[in-house]
Amino acid sequence: MADGKVKKVDVKPDKTVYKSLALGGLLGGGGECSIDVKDGKAVRIRPFHYDEKYDRKHLNPWKMTRNGATLEPLMKALPGTFSLAYKKRTFSPNRIKYPLIRVDWDPNGERNPQNRGKSKYRRISWDEATDIIASEIRRQHKLYGPLSILIQGDGHGECKTIHTPHGHQGRLLDMMGGFTQQVRNPDSWEGWYWGSKHVWGQGFQGMMSPAANLIKDISENSDMILFWGGDPETTPWGFTGQYATRVCYFWTQAGIKQIYVCPELNYGAAVHADKWIPVLPNTDAALQLAIIYMWFKEGTWKKDYVKTHSVGIDYVKKYVMGEEDGIPKTPEWASKKCGVPEWTIKALAREWGKKVTSICHYFGGGFIRGPFSHEPGRLECVLLGMQGLGGPGVHQCQITYFGMPRAEGLKSIRYFNPALTERLRIPCRTTIDAWGKQLIPKTLIQDAILKPPLVFYGSGGQECQTEEQFVKYTYPIEKEKGGTLVHMIWTDTPCRITCWNHGNWTIDAFQHESIEFVVAQHPWLENECIYADIILPANTTLEVEDIVTNSRQGPHFQSVTIQEQAIPPVGESRSDYEIVLAIAEKLGLGEKFSEGKTTRDLQKDVFDTMELGDMTTWENFMEKKCFVYPVAKDWESDSPGFRKFYDDPKKNPLQTPSGLLEFYSERLATNFPDDKERPPYPKWIEKSETHDERLSSERAAMFPLLCMSNHGRWRTHSQGDDITWTRETPTCKVLGSDGYNYEPAWINPKDAAKRGIKDGDIVKVFNERGVVLCGARVWERMSPNVVYVDHGARHDPIIDNVDRGGAINTISPDGLTSKNACGQATTSYLVDVQKVSERDYQEWRSKDTESFDACFKRDYDPASGLRFNSWVEGGMQ
Amino acid sequence: MKVFVIDVGICNGCYSCQIACKDEHVGNDWSPIAKPQPDTGQFWLKLQENICGTVPKVKMHYVPLICQHCDKAPCIPACPINAIYKRDDGLVIIDADKCNGCKACVDVCPYSAIYFNEDLNLAQKCTGCAHLIDGGEWKIPRCADSCPTEAIKFGEESEFKDLIAKAEVLKPESKTKPRVYYLNIPKKFIAGTVYDPIEKEVVIGATCTVTGKGGKKYTVKTDAFGDFWLQGLEDGIFNLTIEAKGFDEKKYDKLDTTEKDINLGDIPLDKPKKK
Repeated sequence: MADGKVKKVDVKPDKTVYKSLALGGLLGGGGECSIDVKDGKAVRIRPFHYDEKYDRKHLNPWKMTRNGATLEPLMKALPGTFSLAYKKRTFSPNRIKYPLIRVDWDPNGERNPQNRGKSKYRRISWDEATDIIASEIRRQHKLYGPLSILIQGDGHGECKTIHTPHGHQGRLLDMMGGFTQQVRNPDSWEGWYWGSKHVWGQGFQGMMSPAANLIKDISENSDMILFWGGDPETTPWGFTGQYATRVCYFWTQAGIKQIYVCPELNYGAAVHADKWIPVLPNTDAALQLAIIYMWFKEGTWKKDYVKTHSVGIDYVKKYVMGEEDGIPKTPEWASKKCGVPEWTIKALAREWGKKVTSICHYFGGGFIRGPFSHEPGRLECVLLGMQGLGGPGVHQCQITYFGMPRAEGLKSIRYFNPALTERLRIPCRTTIDAWGKQLIPKTLIQDAILKPPLVFYGSGGQECQTEEQFVKYTYPIEKEKGGTLVHMIWTDTPCRITCWNHGNWTIDAFQHESIEFVVAQHPWLENECIYADIILPANTTLEVEDIVTNSRQGPHFQSVTIQEQAIPPVGESRSDYEIVLAIAEKLGLGEKFSEGKTTRDLQKDVFDTMELGDMTTWENFMEKKCFVYPVAKDWESDSPGFRKFYDDPKKNPLQTPSGLLEFYSERLATNFPDDKERPPYPKWIEKSETHDERLSSERAAMFPLLCMSNHGRWRTHSQGDDITWTRETPTCKVLGSDGYNYEPAWINPKDAAKRGIKDGDIVKVFNERGVVLCGARVWERMSPNVVYVDHGARHDPIIDNVDRGGAINTISPDGLTSKNACGQATTSYLVDVQKVSERDYQEWRSKDTESFDACFKRDYDPASGLRFNSWVEGGMQ
Repeated sequence: MKVFVIDVGICNGCYSCQIACKDEHVGNDWSPIAKPQPDTGQFWLKLQENICGTVPKVKMHYVPLICQHCDKAPCIPACPINAIYKRDDGLVIIDADKCNGCKACVDVCPYSAIYFNEDLNLAQKCTGCAHLIDGGEWKIPRCADSCPTEAIKFGEESEFKDLIAKAEVLKPESKTKPRVYYLNIPKKFIAGTVYDPIEKEVVIGATCTVTGKGGKKYTVKTDAFGDFWLQGLEDGIFNLTIEAKGFDEKKYDKLDTTEKDINLGDIPLDKPKKK
């Protein structure tokens, strides 16, 4: 025994800083963590404890009960797992450490756009880089006018406010006459945006809103919850953390049945499902129609509610019962399309007709992101409407995104936080608004560059109103309004290849001769960075001083925290704000851009505009470095969801023209009379001019599997693909026999056996649009006829249209949600999967030996993936 | 005396425990309690995934595996230089300054919980975050602090008396007296969906009875989806009878749960033949 002989280890940190390490970004925090810093090193990242600085009494914790089970908040935050591994992100071997310039891009000579993605980089100074960028901006303005510069400055990222990762360049260029905006379109909730809005009005980007107190009302009143497509154990990690898991366990204890309808046994279904109903990807509309059929047939729907709260049920009835097209949408009809047995469809319809039922989502999943996703989106509204939407326990709920108890004194629960000053909000506008003078939906960027001009309806901006979907846009806009084609791209969101539609065409667009200059700013050398001409090193949240409003309604408690710098910047990296400021200075706009404000001034601005002075003092706040909001005393009195509409639709109309649920949309009928893909009321669309991606297609002879995609559990979209610790989990990567860590492709043992595929094999997932290599995960978590690959893996091109990195969206359809809805359709499309063979490699090498050899020579470490050194001349440590 | 109590029934498989352990130990030197853990390949806390059944009757459970801090730890006597010791609080520690890398302990651990760090020539494993507990600020180790559902609990044995009474230990046959207790590790299931192939309807309320070793019976009725889940079954051979009014009895003989859970799929029941 060594008792008494062992000296105590000194574990006391020098300081502890607060960081919000979820990856949703956009001014709202989540994944609240404490970082212990010792000897200048971040030694530990751990969940933030609310009661470290505030006692339980101050927090006034809420409580929910049902059938003897109780749910109360824990006194700690529940960050997603990758948040706890964030040191690995900050110190990734793939961090960009210095400004870089592409070796064969010469602003005064040959620009070689065709070599983007092929040629290497060399180090340059900040001074040199910012000089070139400033001069290129002036050149663009002189030759074409300000709108020739395309801003890609949107999307998710680290939770920061002053140094928010996206959109600062939009604020600068706006001061100089404007820019062309890449409008960020829904990339998780397409069907509700392009569909549901037309039924129940604006909602929150199309999802049901208001959404107060949904968790309480469901907990107290629902008997059954349908988790339809989305995964409460995956997607919330990127935004707030793991609060949903505790809610789901509580519902199980309370005896509330949880039914999962999804092609894959997702992580929520794996541990919470009372029943898993595997449905073929993007065939949910057939299943929904058959349920409606059963309700009509058996009279198990709320006729009185429908009469007073909706318009258009007769159209739905005629269609569903077959009076319109001669095809009754029976369970037998649906079963053939969706793969769910007829008897199970009938049982589900009866249970739903009998039991008080809500539908829960987070975002994403096979349900809402495929071709024609507005149809399942709208049918969901019809189904909920037929059962008395807004009544006790009948809701659509984005579990732990909204619907948690209200905090006292918190000005906004929206994550882009309208409570903040304009100065801090402007960068974020590029993600949520369509505010550029010339607009290109993100889904159409490749088309805009490769085959202009474009005409489209609705920009698809996140916060755009429903009416905007009827606005006709052109790209370019009229010349007299400054319209021009785009000739320069300034991106701080280099993930289009792996996160958006038909990523392979993104590459073609970046290599197009019309694009004279591409500048990228990013912490990691990944995805589109290698298609840029100048790359600027941005830093991560650990390296900056900031303030974050953890205002999203997911955590147990909301808070505002001062986010001190934990460690010095890696290499020569700067924050995204500091990068744009440096360029502004070169353009003589430094003072205007900074407004002469220090970080402390801006922190105080946040304190003031959040009206935190009503809750605490600035001195007290700065001493504690955090304020945790108490739960409002009267939180239980907030009317849940659509309850007011439910109680009195005349007095509390929805934001639709009729004020009612519009199962039939007169507006769609008027604006798009010939639209067969999004008709005035929701239908089953087998195929159309835009998409032919069903198992019934002739194409299925060659590509007999449906590829479904969700947000990965170990990433938020593309963020976090290089974390060595998460990559060791069996669902993050599959180590191939060649030592490369492949993105998993889930496949059912029956489909695998037919193809001679074994678990761990390197496989190719392919269709006409290209090939993606993956590692086979052969298991019973996947239903037959489907292969499942998450989007967002880091792209690693072998040759054109052949990817080794698992970036599955490179082969997703280019086509939009439907012809008048410019969403993306990046799940549920036809592919085949086969073992990759020696012959495949030979064929690819013979097509493009240089690229092939370069790919296999790239500096690679299975632990973290591709290395920075591969792309930089002479390498750099 | 400290214990871990791990409730598998509320483990959501998030891996926060495994990752937090790495965050604490990779790149950090807490000698003599622990020297740095290699970045990859070693798991002082390893989450084990279990996928049970076949589509669509599939359930998962995850089991966090750590050093069991055994009271009769075979690693202690196996160490020829007495570098492994049991503390008064029950935690078993490999003295990181003393270990000379002979690997004797690695081989004798019945739980495969001891890893060998080739770079440091050192045997390493879960320390219960003794370095933090000793500091006084921490009451629980990193894995427990990071667990979103509080499935991993750590504390005084007396404090968890009631839970321990319901718990089991892993590999009791190794007789090492682990100080890590597990709750709600699922046993095997036999499941299926019963339906009427003529009406294409599920059969609700069908009585499903399995008979196992020694005539032990388990019975459930099919639910509103026609599903039955006979759960909590031992490993062994079972005979199943499905009875429903208006249908012939259906029997399955010799269902073997030894290796795996059983999903019998969608089971059609025949109507009795008219005489």
